[in-house]
Amino acid sequence: MTEQINDQISAFIDNELSADESSLLVRRFERDPEARARAMRYTLIGAAMRGELLDPHPTVLRQRVAAALAGAAPSSARVRTGGVERFARPLLGVGIAAAVAIVAIGALSVLNDVSFAPGGIAPDAAPPLTANLPTPEPSYVVPQEVDETRVVTPPTLLTNYLIVHGEYASGLTRTTVNSNVVGTAIESPERETAAAKPLPVGQEGLE
Amino acid sequence: MRTARAVAAQALLLLSFAGAQAPAQEARDWLERMNSAVEELNYRGTFVHVLLDGTPETLEIVHRNSNGESGERILSLDGAGREIVRQGDRVQGILPDQRIVLLESRRDVSPLVARLPNSSEELESHYEIRLRGNARVADRAVRVLEIRPRDEFRYGYTLWLDEATAMPLRSQLFDERGRVVEQIHFTAIEIPADIPATDLEATIDTTGFTTLRAPESSPSAGAVISWRAVVVPGGFKLSVATQSQMAGSDTPVEHLVYSDGLATVSVFIEARETKADVGEGFSNFGSTNAFSLTLRGRKVTAMGEVPPQTVRTIATSLVDE
Repeated sequence: MTEQINDQISAFIDNELSADESSLLVRRFERDPEARARAMRYTLIGAAMRGELLDPHPTVLRQRVAAALAGAAPSSARVRTGGVERFARPLLGVGIAAAVAIVAIGALSVLNDVSFAPGGIAPDAAPPLTANLPTPEPSYVVPQEVDETRVVTPPTLLTNYLIVHGEYASGLTRTTVNSNVVGTAIESPERETAAAKPLPVGQEGLE
Repeated sequence: MRTARAVAAQALLLLSFAGAQAPAQEARDWLERMNSAVEELNYRGTFVHVLLDGTPETLEIVHRNSNGESGERILSLDGAGREIVRQGDRVQGILPDQRIVLLESRRDVSPLVARLPNSSEELESHYEIRLRGNARVADRAVRVLEIRPRDEFRYGYTLWLDEATAMPLRSQLFDERGRVVEQIHFTAIEIPADIPATDLEATIDTTGFTTLRAPESSPSAGAVISWRAVVVPGGFKLSVATQSQMAGSDTPVEHLVYSDGLATVSVFIEARETKADVGEGFSNFGSTNAFSLTLRGRKVTAMGEVPPQTVRTIATSLVDE
């Protein structure tokens, strides 16, 4: 592992990486157990130095990963300092890594790459295959900020998706999904008209 | 004497540990019972559905379970006046506001896909589940169950569960800021031993409506679904990867389902040659958030009863393996 990666991990935990750099590093964590273990180690050492080692959740790392997943910019514009604390971490970390590397980064999960035929159900206990992950996609898209209230897809298509989605909803959310189908009309008349015209397969009332 | 004190201290410690575990197990048992009740009971009732903007809507629901086969009809009594009927091998979505009937094949897989995780630790590493006390809803005694997410990638729930049957008679869905984004509140419910099949028949006259149904041709058997999300919030696992024809579409759609046992996210990947007009960005149906984008020439939409950042995270991390 290069010194550059070590520095990036330190900066990541210190909230000093940009959103794009953080996203790339989180993706590296998915395929690189050593980087992941080092991140966990640095986090725990930092927690130990702050007297927080009894906390069962590596909250700092979770927050950083969550922020990176959400594409958020660092919450504070801190400058990389390369201070004493960062240089002290690797020395303090010896012996801790093996004990903690097994703990997954809390907010992340990487899926196994078992192929599924149509209609297939995943096996119950399929473990994450962290060793066989695909290489990072060069076409990975860093999401752009968009207006969350914007309606961009024809309502009929979204309704269709939602009805199919409802077939897989849990007991907890089944009524929610169905209520959203029947009770929530999306207004987008000009798109809706265009979408409804070319698609009909039958022109009939329900029997 | 010192030994006796040590033993007593250890016993107290063990008792307090056991005391802490028992309520957690009891809360989880109520969650299990609720999941079964929603699927297995016969019930009909009226409930009010309120979203973040405070607009209430009244809906009628009939759920029937006969010999393990369940069916359901939900009708909006105001607003758009839509109706959805899940019965037998099909789902009808009747949209009077658009004079359209969507006719889908039914995938009877919900109990398999959305079951709770096998281990308590697995679920409780992502949610804190606890009982909060007793109350009354729709003139029935209820237990209040609170489910708090441990991160911002899923919603929390407060559930008012019928003491006798564990049916959720009231629920609140809240976001990471504690805002209630949806409420469902039964104002009347009956849970009879049996409900006639005719009660599931659609009540809206669809004469003159346009019916959109899937083409007769079925997707090619054995096709491998190669798309996967490589970054998903903790606890979400791929439950289903399938290919299906959807109403109103002449090309097959690939469908992935990710679930953490409580929340479910669907990902729809349109064929390259699709005519579907999928835009890019966020949209929402009440508490269901969706995010659409184009990846490698394929139009992708992820949707679920989860915060916007969750559907975006999953959608943007898709790769074609």
